[in-house]
Amino acid sequence: MTAQKGLVFDIQGYSVHDGPGCRTLVFLSGCPLRCEWCANPEGMEIRQQVMFSTTKCRHTNLNCTRCLDACHQKAIELSNDENILKIDRSICRNCETYDCTNACFYEAIRLVGKWMSVDELMEIFNRDRQYWGQGGGVTFSGGEPFIQKDFLLEVLKKCKKAFIHTAIETTAHVATQVLLDTFRYVDFAFIDIKHMDSQKHKEKTGVGNELILNNIAALANSDWKGRLVLRMPVIRNYNDTDENVMSIIRFMKKLGLFEINILPFHRLGDSKWKQLGLNYLYSDEEGTSEEKLDHIQDLFLDERIACYVAHDTLF
Amino acid sequence: MATKRAKLEEILAEKGMPINFQYGGKAPEQMVDREVKKQPCPRVKKLKDLYFQTLSSATVEFPYWYTRKYQELEGEIPVVRRAAALKHAFSHLTPTIFPGELLVMGKAHYYRGSFPMPWLSEGYFMVKEDELYQSALNKGSASADELSKFGTGGGNVTKSFGDVVSIAGKFGMRKEEIPALVKLAKAWVGKSVDDLGHKYEQMIPEYQMKENIMKTLICMFDSGYTLPQGREVINYYYPLQYGFDGLIEMAKEGKARVAGRADGDGLVGMDRLYFYEAVILVLEGIQTWILNYAKEAKRLAGVTEDAVQKKEYEEIAECLEWIAHKQPRTFREALQLTYTIHIAVLNEDAISGMSPGRLGQVLYPWFEQDMEAGRITEEEVLELLECHRMKFTLIDCFASMGVVGGVLSGNTFNNLSMGGLTRDGKPATNRLEMLILEAAMRNETPQPTLSVLYDEKLPEEFLLKAIECNKTGTGYPAWMNNQSAIQFLLNQYGPEGMTVEEARAFAIGGCLETSAGSWMPLTLNGKKYEIPGGSGQPTSVGVHFIANPKVLELVLTNGKDERTGIQVYPPHNKKLQTYEELWETFKEYYEMTVDCLTTTNNIQHDIWRKNNMAVFNSLLKPDCLSKGHHIGNLGYRYNATFNVESCGTVNQINALTAIKKLVYDDKKYTLDELKDALLNNFGFKTAAEVGSFSLAEQEKREDGDKYDEIYGDCLLAPKYGNDDPYADAILKEYEDWFCAMCRNYESLYAKPLYACQISVSTHAPQGAATLASADGRLSGTTYADGSMSAYPGTDRKGAYALFNSATCWDQTQSQNSQMNLKIHPSAIKGDEGSRKLMDLTRAYMRKGGFHIQYNVVDSKVLKDAQKNPHNYRDLMVRVAGFTQYWVEIGKPIQDEVIARTEYEGV
Repeated sequence: MTAQKGLVFDIQGYSVHDGPGCRTLVFLSGCPLRCEWCANPEGMEIRQQVMFSTTKCRHTNLNCTRCLDACHQKAIELSNDENILKIDRSICRNCETYDCTNACFYEAIRLVGKWMSVDELMEIFNRDRQYWGQGGGVTFSGGEPFIQKDFLLEVLKKCKKAFIHTAIETTAHVATQVLLDTFRYVDFAFIDIKHMDSQKHKEKTGVGNELILNNIAALANSDWKGRLVLRMPVIRNYNDTDENVMSIIRFMKKLGLFEINILPFHRLGDSKWKQLGLNYLYSDEEGTSEEKLDHIQDLFLDERIACYVAHDTLF
Repeated sequence: MATKRAKLEEILAEKGMPINFQYGGKAPEQMVDREVKKQPCPRVKKLKDLYFQTLSSATVEFPYWYTRKYQELEGEIPVVRRAAALKHAFSHLTPTIFPGELLVMGKAHYYRGSFPMPWLSEGYFMVKEDELYQSALNKGSASADELSKFGTGGGNVTKSFGDVVSIAGKFGMRKEEIPALVKLAKAWVGKSVDDLGHKYEQMIPEYQMKENIMKTLICMFDSGYTLPQGREVINYYYPLQYGFDGLIEMAKEGKARVAGRADGDGLVGMDRLYFYEAVILVLEGIQTWILNYAKEAKRLAGVTEDAVQKKEYEEIAECLEWIAHKQPRTFREALQLTYTIHIAVLNEDAISGMSPGRLGQVLYPWFEQDMEAGRITEEEVLELLECHRMKFTLIDCFASMGVVGGVLSGNTFNNLSMGGLTRDGKPATNRLEMLILEAAMRNETPQPTLSVLYDEKLPEEFLLKAIECNKTGTGYPAWMNNQSAIQFLLNQYGPEGMTVEEARAFAIGGCLETSAGSWMPLTLNGKKYEIPGGSGQPTSVGVHFIANPKVLELVLTNGKDERTGIQVYPPHNKKLQTYEELWETFKEYYEMTVDCLTTTNNIQHDIWRKNNMAVFNSLLKPDCLSKGHHIGNLGYRYNATFNVESCGTVNQINALTAIKKLVYDDKKYTLDELKDALLNNFGFKTAAEVGSFSLAEQEKREDGDKYDEIYGDCLLAPKYGNDDPYADAILKEYEDWFCAMCRNYESLYAKPLYACQISVSTHAPQGAATLASADGRLSGTTYADGSMSAYPGTDRKGAYALFNSATCWDQTQSQNSQMNLKIHPSAIKGDEGSRKLMDLTRAYMRKGGFHIQYNVVDSKVLKDAQKNPHNYRDLMVRVAGFTQYWVEIGKPIQDEVIARTEYEGV
C-alpha cells in the first residue's frame, strides 16, 4: 500500500512500438524540456489540463453552450465574430473543479491527467499482462517520467517484484545518481538524443545537452544489464545534417553503443497543441522524407550501428 | 531493403544479440518481401478479371427440368419423387467451360450463375409487378426485404436494364425467361415449403404474435424455406473413398438388405428402401451431369486450335470421366471431385454457409502421394488452389433480398478451416494448409473464407503464416478457439454419443458456427489415413436473429412497436419500478419470442424434411448410408443442431446498463422521461433522413435541445468494452441466462436448442427498425456488429480492457461469440508486427475468447472507397463473420465498418 500518487495523462494497451513485444504504455505528466516539435504537449506540465477540440464542439451547428453554462470561472466565452467557443487559459489555469469537462457530451472538452496510485496502476498492469504475450511488459513514457521520480521508482520496484518487464522512454535530463538508481529496475530504455551541439540543443528544447550526454555515458559505463536504444527525432534543418549524425556516431562508438531508432517527424501532435490553446510552430512542416531517413540510416549502418527507422525495429 | 535488414541483423549478432524470432528459420531475404502484396498466377488473373466484369446471373434451367419431372411423378413416395426430379434437373443442365479453367463445373451455365428454387418459396423472386409478389408483400417476412440494402456496385444487379430484369434485388435474368419463371412459380403455389409451412404454422396458438414479430423485424427471417441447410460442414469422404460407382453399389446392397424389413423400427424402418432408391437416382443424375461436362470439354478440345488450351480441355475431360465413376487418383482429381460435390449439394437446396471444412486435411493423402511420386510440384498445387478460390467466389446463393442482402451481404460463407487437432490430440495442420494460406494471399477473394482452429499445440510457423495472411487486409483467416469449441460440442452433442476424440473432428460451418464432425478412414493406394468431415445437421437453423435491443424497446413501450403501430406482445402493464422488474419483463418477452419462433420454424422444417429433404447431402454424411435414413429421419450422427440467434447484444447490454444507472440507481430520470426521449430520438432526425447509418454523423432537429441533458447522460453511462464491472456484470447476467434459456426449447428433432451469437449483416436492417436506445444509439442506426465487438467509439480503454469485458462470461456456453477489431496497418508492420498480432490473438484465445478477426485497413481508405467505389472494385473488408467486396455491401454496413474503433497499437 502506498499513499503516493502520480499524474498520468494516458495509458495505452496493445502498444507495439515502444519496446519489445506488446506493451502497456503509461504516459507520466511533466517534462523539463520544451521541444518545439513535441507530439505530446499535454504531458509537458505536471498538472491537470483542459483540452478543447473545436472540431468536436457542437456549438456552431447545435448551438450547445453546456460548457459555458457550467464554468464557474467564466473562462469560456463566445467569440461572436466566428460563432465559436473560446477558453481564456489565464482564468482556466486556476480552476480545480473542471465542471466544463463533465458538462460536455461530445467529448469536445476533456480533462487530461489523472492522479493515480501505484496500486491502481498495478491493477491495470495485472489485467493487461494476461494479453501481452511473450516479451511484452510496461513502458513508462511522458512527458518525462523522471519528473515524478519517486512515484516512478516505486512503480518500477513493484513491477520487478511482480516479474513484469519494464521499459522507459526518457530524455535522461535528471540527476545522474537518480537515473542510475532507478535503472536498476529497468530492463529496456530509450534515451532521446536531440542534438550533439549543446547550444543547438538548448535552442529548440530549452535545455543544454551536457547532463543528458553525461548520463548516457554514465549508464554505458555502469554495470547496468539492460538494453539501451537511443532515439533521435529527425527535425529538418536542425539535427538532420550529416555532421550532427556523424557526431552522434562518434559518441556512440566511444561508449560502445550500437542501437539507435530514428523517428521521422510527424504532425500528429498538431491538434493537441491547438486543443491546449497553444501555438504550434510545426503546423506546416512536412513529414520527414523517405530519402532522408534512408540516408541517415545508411550513415549509421556504414559505421556498424544498428539504426532502425520508425516502427521498423528489431524488438 | 533486404540488404539493410541483413546488415541490421549482422550488427546485432556481432554484439551477441542474434535475432531468434525468424519463423521457419528462413533467410532474411525471404522475410522482407512478405509485406509486398502478392499476385495471382497469370491464368487466375484472367479468370479474376472476367469475374470482375460479370454480374450475378440467374436462369430457370434447373427449376424447369426439376418441376417438369416432379409434376410427372404425382403420387410417388416423396423422397423418390424428389430424387427423380433432382436427377432430371442435373442431367439436363447445360455444361459451360471457360477458357483457362483448370477446375470446372458450376451451379448454372453462367460464369456467376444461380437459379431460384420455387419448391422452397415461390413468391419472393417475382418481378414487382406480378400479383404473386404483391401478395408476398403482405406477409410478415417481407419486412426484412424493405429494410435491407444491397451494395449497388460489383456484380449486383439491383436494377433492371436493357433486356435484363433484376430479381430478388441482386440477380439479373434475361427478359425472355421471365414468363417461364412466373409459370414455374405458379406451379408451386400452395405446394412450396413456404406455402405449406405457412398453412400449418398458422395453427399454433401464438401465430399472430409470430407474424407481428416478423413484421416489426424483431426477427429477421424464417428458417425452413429460406436457407433450410447450410452453416454446416460438408463431408466429401464417401465419393473420395468409394467413387460414385461404389456408392451406387452400396445403395443397391442396402436396398436388398432392407426391402420389406422394419428391423425393429415400426415407424420409419420401412422408409430405408425408398431412401436407398433415392440415393441411386440422385447419384446417377450427378454422374450424367459430370459426364455432360466431360463431353463439352471434348467438344471444345475438338474445335480448339491452340495446342496448350486443347490439351487442357483433354485433361479436363479425362479427369471428369474418371471422377464420375471412381476414387480420384491424383490431387487434381480429388480437388475437382470435392468442388463437384460442393456444387451438387448447393444445387440440391437453397444453402448459404456450406463449408468445405478442413479441406487441407481432407486432401492431404493425394497431396502427399503426388508429391512423393513427383507427379506435381508445389507451384502447380498453388495454381490449382488459386483456381479453387476463383470457383468458390463464383458461387452465388439465390434467396430473397432480405436474406441475401440484409442477412448475408451477398456472401456465401464457404468457410475453410485449418489447424485444430487430430483424433489423438496432435496438431492437425500440414504442408498443404501452408499452401492454402499462400494461395489465399496470392489470389485474394472472398471465398472460401478461412478459419484457424487455434490450439496451443499448433506450430508457430503455421500460426505466423496465418497472421501474415491477416496482414494482407483480406480479413481472413478468422481465429477460432479450438478448446472452447470442443467444450461446447461435448456439452451439446454428448447426449448423442460424442467423445473427446470425435469432438476434435469439428470445423466451422458458415461464418463461425461450430459444427460437429467425424473422423473417416480413407485408403489410398493401400495407405491408410483418417480424414475429418461434417457429420451434423445444418446449424443456424431454427430461430433466426432476434433483435435484442428491439425486445428491450418493446418492454418500455408495453409490447407495442411504435414504428409500425403493431401490438406485438401482450401488454405487460407493469410500472417497472425496479431494475429487476424490467429485466424479468425483458426475459418474459424474449422467451415468448423464442417459443413462437421455435414452433413455427419447427413446422417449416418439418414440411421441408417431408417434401424437400436433402438426398445428396444426406448420403454424404455419416451415418445416412449405413442407417438407410436421410437427414429428416435422423440419419445424421449429430442432430442437436438447431439454435437461437441473437443480434445487437452489445447495444442491448449498454442500454440496460444506462437504464439501471440513470433510472434505478442514480434516479436522475424517471423511466417515462427516458422513454419520451427515446421515442423522440433524443431530438435528432432519423438516420434515413440524414442518409448515414453511423452514429457520428447524425443531425439534430431544430427543436431537439430539450433532450440534450438526458442524451448526454445516456452517452456517458457505463459501456461494455471498458473493463467496467458495472456494465460487464449486466453482460454476464444476460449471457448466463440466454445460453441456459435456449436449452429450454426443443427442435423438431426433439433436441434442445442452444445459443448462437453472430450478427452476419442483420445488425443493419434490424438497427434500421429500432428506435433510439438508452445507450445513446440513435433511431435507425446500425447496431454494433457481432456479439463481442464494442459499439463503435465506446471502447475507450483499448483492446485489453475490451478483451477483459468480452471474457467476463463463459463463452463455451455458446456455439460462438464474435469479436471484430479494426487494426491500422502501421500497428502490425514488419516481422515484429506479425509477432505482436500473434501475441494479441493468442492472448484473447487463452483468456477464453471464442473468436477474433481483423480488418487491417485504414479508415481513410474506406471513406474514399465509399465516395469513389469505381476505384475499389477489388477492395475487401471483413464484415461480421466474413470477407466481402466493399462495393457489394450495403451502405449501413459500410458506415458501421468505418466507425468501428481502430486500434493503432500506438
